[in-house]
Amino acid sequence: MNGSSTTKILTAGAVAGLAGIVATLFVSGRERFWVNWIVWFLFVLTTGLGCFFIVALEHVVGARWSVPLRRVPEKLSSLVLLMAPAALLALFSLPAIYSWTRPESLDNPMIAGKAGWLNIPFFSLRAFLCVVLWLLSYRILVTGSYRQDRERDHRFNMRARRFAPLFMAIFAFTITIVAFDWISSLEPEWYSDIFGVYLFAGTFLAGLAATTLALLHLMDRKRLPGLGPDHVYNLGGFLFAFTVFWSYIGFAQYMLMWYANLPEEVFWYKERLEGLWGPLLLALAVFHFFIPFFVLIPRDAKSDPKRLRIVAGVVLFAHWLDLYWMIFPVLGKGPLFGWPELSFLVLFVSCGFLWIRRALGRGADMPVGDPFLQEGLGFRL
Amino acid sequence: MKTGTVALPEFLKLPPVIEGKLTPGSLDDQVLSHLDRRPPPAWFVAFAFSSSLMVIGLMLIGYTIATGIGVWGNNIPVAWAFDIINFVFWVGIGHAGTLISAILLLFRARWRNAISRFSEAMTIFAVICAGIFPAIHVGRPWLAFWLMPYPNQRGIWPNFRSPLIWDVFAVSTYFSVSLLFWYLGLVPDLASLRDRAPGKFRKAVYSMLSVGWRGSSSHWQHFEKAYLILAGLATGLVLSVHSVVSFDFATSLVPGWHMTIFPPYFVAGAIFAGFAMVVIVLVVVRSTMRLENLITMYHLDVMNKVILTCSCLMGYAYVMEAFTAWYSMNGSIHHTFKQYIFGTYWWAGWTTISCNVLIPQLLWSRRFRRSYPVMIFVALAVTVGMWFERFVIIVSSLHQDYLPSSWHIYRPTLVDYGILAGSFGMFFTLVLLFARVLPVIATTEMKVVLPGSQPRHAGGLHE
Amino acid sequence: MSRRIFSILGLFDDVQRLMDAIPVVKAKTGARLDAYTPYPVHGIDKALGLRKSPVGGMVFIMGLLGALAGVGFELWTSGVDYPLIAAGKPVLSWEAFVPIMFEVTVLFATFTAGLGMLLLLNRLPFFRHPMLRAKSMPLITRDKFALAVESDGGELDEDAIIAVLRNAGARSIEVIEQPAPPGPLSPDFLMRVAVAIAISCGVAGYLTYWAMKLFPISVPVVHMLDQPRLNPQTQNSFFRDESGMRLPVAGTVARGHMPYSIREPDDPAVPANPLPASEPVLKEGRKAFEIYCSVCHGILGDGAGSLTAAYGAKPANLSSRAIRDYTDGKIHHAIVAGKNAMPSYAAELTEDERWSVVHYVRALQRALNAKDEDIPKEVRK
Repeated sequence: MNGSSTTKILTAGAVAGLAGIVATLFVSGRERFWVNWIVWFLFVLTTGLGCFFIVALEHVVGARWSVPLRRVPEKLSSLVLLMAPAALLALFSLPAIYSWTRPESLDNPMIAGKAGWLNIPFFSLRAFLCVVLWLLSYRILVTGSYRQDRERDHRFNMRARRFAPLFMAIFAFTITIVAFDWISSLEPEWYSDIFGVYLFAGTFLAGLAATTLALLHLMDRKRLPGLGPDHVYNLGGFLFAFTVFWSYIGFAQYMLMWYANLPEEVFWYKERLEGLWGPLLLALAVFHFFIPFFVLIPRDAKSDPKRLRIVAGVVLFAHWLDLYWMIFPVLGKGPLFGWPELSFLVLFVSCGFLWIRRALGRGADMPVGDPFLQEGLGFRL
Repeated sequence: MKTGTVALPEFLKLPPVIEGKLTPGSLDDQVLSHLDRRPPPAWFVAFAFSSSLMVIGLMLIGYTIATGIGVWGNNIPVAWAFDIINFVFWVGIGHAGTLISAILLLFRARWRNAISRFSEAMTIFAVICAGIFPAIHVGRPWLAFWLMPYPNQRGIWPNFRSPLIWDVFAVSTYFSVSLLFWYLGLVPDLASLRDRAPGKFRKAVYSMLSVGWRGSSSHWQHFEKAYLILAGLATGLVLSVHSVVSFDFATSLVPGWHMTIFPPYFVAGAIFAGFAMVVIVLVVVRSTMRLENLITMYHLDVMNKVILTCSCLMGYAYVMEAFTAWYSMNGSIHHTFKQYIFGTYWWAGWTTISCNVLIPQLLWSRRFRRSYPVMIFVALAVTVGMWFERFVIIVSSLHQDYLPSSWHIYRPTLVDYGILAGSFGMFFTLVLLFARVLPVIATTEMKVVLPGSQPRHAGGLHE
Repeated sequence: MSRRIFSILGLFDDVQRLMDAIPVVKAKTGARLDAYTPYPVHGIDKALGLRKSPVGGMVFIMGLLGALAGVGFELWTSGVDYPLIAAGKPVLSWEAFVPIMFEVTVLFATFTAGLGMLLLLNRLPFFRHPMLRAKSMPLITRDKFALAVESDGGELDEDAIIAVLRNAGARSIEVIEQPAPPGPLSPDFLMRVAVAIAISCGVAGYLTYWAMKLFPISVPVVHMLDQPRLNPQTQNSFFRDESGMRLPVAGTVARGHMPYSIREPDDPAVPANPLPASEPVLKEGRKAFEIYCSVCHGILGDGAGSLTAAYGAKPANLSSRAIRDYTDGKIHHAIVAGKNAMPSYAAELTEDERWSVVHYVRALQRALNAKDEDIPKEVRK
């Protein structure tokens, strides 16, 4: 496919999408607009954060086999930069869909007691801090890696190795804040302390899936010489393992709340099981667990580009479905997918792809300045 | 792309997994010869001490069964105390062995081979110690077989919806799988022992145990595949078994117990406590059995890094629990959490936090990670801290739950302390016996990671 | 030579020499080859032409079987055979059955992998293989590598094969002879007999158990249970409401129970105290009083009980003039039928205890209203 024609299509899509979402704001109402915004900005943000996590993980454990492919998640993690303004824009959604912003919510003692945490200034400060911390970490880990291409200075490895554990702490707390603030506080009476871990699991999986798709795309175009099926196998193994991990966390949260049956916890699930939401949750289980798990069981499936592409695509879709299923019910209606949702999809997917194309096109495809590149290329199982 | 000729700093160089010149033959001689020699006097002293503790513990268990649970400090509402604390503690310690044996095998971490045999053995002994407690803490242990689903004339079945039955299945599965995994890995080593056995009796025993293993490539093919699959299955168990144990608490309504983060929190805590125990035992083993070239400082360094990671995960979990407890706006949960820090057992809460989160931060320093005194101090602190964490979760939450008229102080009795000491005695007795009778390092697996062990065309970076 | 050759071994010093020799020997001899190594060697399966191991497929199937068996057993026992409602959960509560299903899956899969590999695929334990008696065996388990050219039942040209092996780099050669056929009482045979006996005992015991359990409830033995009589806890069409369990006829009185139907305390039918005011009666009365009555009426019966403040009630002072003038029967009536805020204590006290308490109350009344004449002469001043 001709590169510039793809760009033209995507740009057209972005424009059309933008027009669509503006129309949504005026025709379908603030709530629907903002709910879609939250679902989509979180989807793209968490995908970027997942890739960012992969980069930091590689630095923390000092893995050599992954050095040649590290540039792929580094480029994809720039999605966090794209979503930084989207996150700050999302702050305007607070009065529209977050019930604790309304003065009458303070009549409820359970909300009033948390007003020290759930108030617009503190919430915005937290969101702002998360964005700042992510941008700073990006500068250190990703921009530094690009700089290493030119300067061939191995001190970057040391700096990255020293910073990565701190980033892990930052990541742990920021992803928890994202989960608690943006998703859980849509229903401020509800609480679940595994929620940060749950969002982390989905985030990591989304990052792995996006990395896999981008990696296979680049390998098809022979832009990653030296990378072989053994590298791909490891990625496939991670996809498999963390599919199981996400399912375990999701099931644990559901089963514990089902078992204790406390009204103050179960209402969240009850809303998300009535009407068509129940079958949607079943679909989520199929796409997020059954399909990736059973397709990736055979050993050769984990290094087979065809099956990996399918699974990675399904996992990304399932991650979006997960966010949709968690967030949309706050509108009080059944699962909707009309032209508003379609416009948001077109807008965010087009912008996302445009951004990713730009990122993949700039800079080297492998961290050429990394002293362990050769060793990584020589990795065999 | 030339990677520069600049010398890499020490920091970034890949450390050797084995030190010194080693051949398969010298490996056999170094490790297997311990079984031919008389153990040093220190072994006998340690064995005498730990087996006495074990015997005292067993006698106290007999006394409990004969007299009744009243000889323990358990009361209403603190119906679970040392019995369940010890159970969770020991099951947790077992998880490190499976992580090292199974998960690190899947990650192809070469450094795992020197310590996998020992840690797997520790898993099995820890699970044995753990399994005693559910059996003796029921009021009529002689009826404990009722937990098994067999057709009976009462026409009833165990309640499969109860987390306690999930525990029965999870821990027995874990024990059988670990035993099988450990035994299968031992078979080639037992074949080595059979072929160098000095006496006829030993040769006969090792022959039987090694089931006629002859190292045929067709056998190795099936063996390797089965071993890898077993590792994958055991990995699932590492996550699930301690999660099922956490369900004992999280499915209930006791304030402070019904927190959804319990499953991953317990698993992280199990790995944490388990690695600490492995570090303590390995430090002793490597120095007394002169295995410093096989269990190198690198191994201890990496294990200490895992301990540090788990300590940070525990810190995250404590922060999440405290925050969610406040966020829940539930008066009983608020009260329970305040009790953890300022209540009757405030000293246990502070011990937990300092031993689990503060002290292990020492391991950020590379020098401390490689220093015997510091790492043993941290490992002991972690062991104590993790025991007290279960104490805080169980006793502190139970002693003041929803209904103030039911509140009651818990005081352990001497029998409680004795049985706890006895479980440590049993564990270390089994460990000492293992070191005497079986090879502590998986020599066959070690031979695989020696340089030059694999043919050239399949070479390259093995990680 | 009339000896039968099982195989001819060539011993190699290192793994590379072995791998180089395999294709050469394979081509030159065309016989079946097997290699013996101290540890698994990468790539040797392909070199020897071994078929792919079926362990993976076996494990997958048995794992699925385990999952079905686990969840099926739970659903049948808890939902069909003896449906039990626990904690208000639905009878077919799949959420609660997942943990055990997972564990049983792992159990089945693991034992298939471990024991299937050992017993079925490798056919171990097997102690009669000629290799086990070979002189090279200790060398192999230590650090040498052997390539065996097997006769596979046919004839081997000994000298030619030895020459081929030496040319391929073998350091030493060993000829393994076919072992003599085992005598009738070989260890293998004995072990098989022992295992067969054990299995037969197990099966026989199991069948006996089921026979004894099922015999009394199979036809025609069960006919004895089928009688025209009322079985406990079953329906019975003999009665109009079809319930086999009947309530006692109206007016039924429990054995040893004297019905007390008096309503008014001043009713002349109120009985007199049947018990004498003896020391054992007073002792029993004191015991019962202190347990049941003193909390409200006070230990001295003066109305100053320990619960008075908490309950805001005003228990009677039993030593007051009014109650001193009561007949025994009237006090007894208060115990049995209650009085004002005091409930009936008929359930807590037996007939005898009630009358003993009445005697004790009299004793307390006298104690609190003592006259000078009550003091013994010796002590009186």
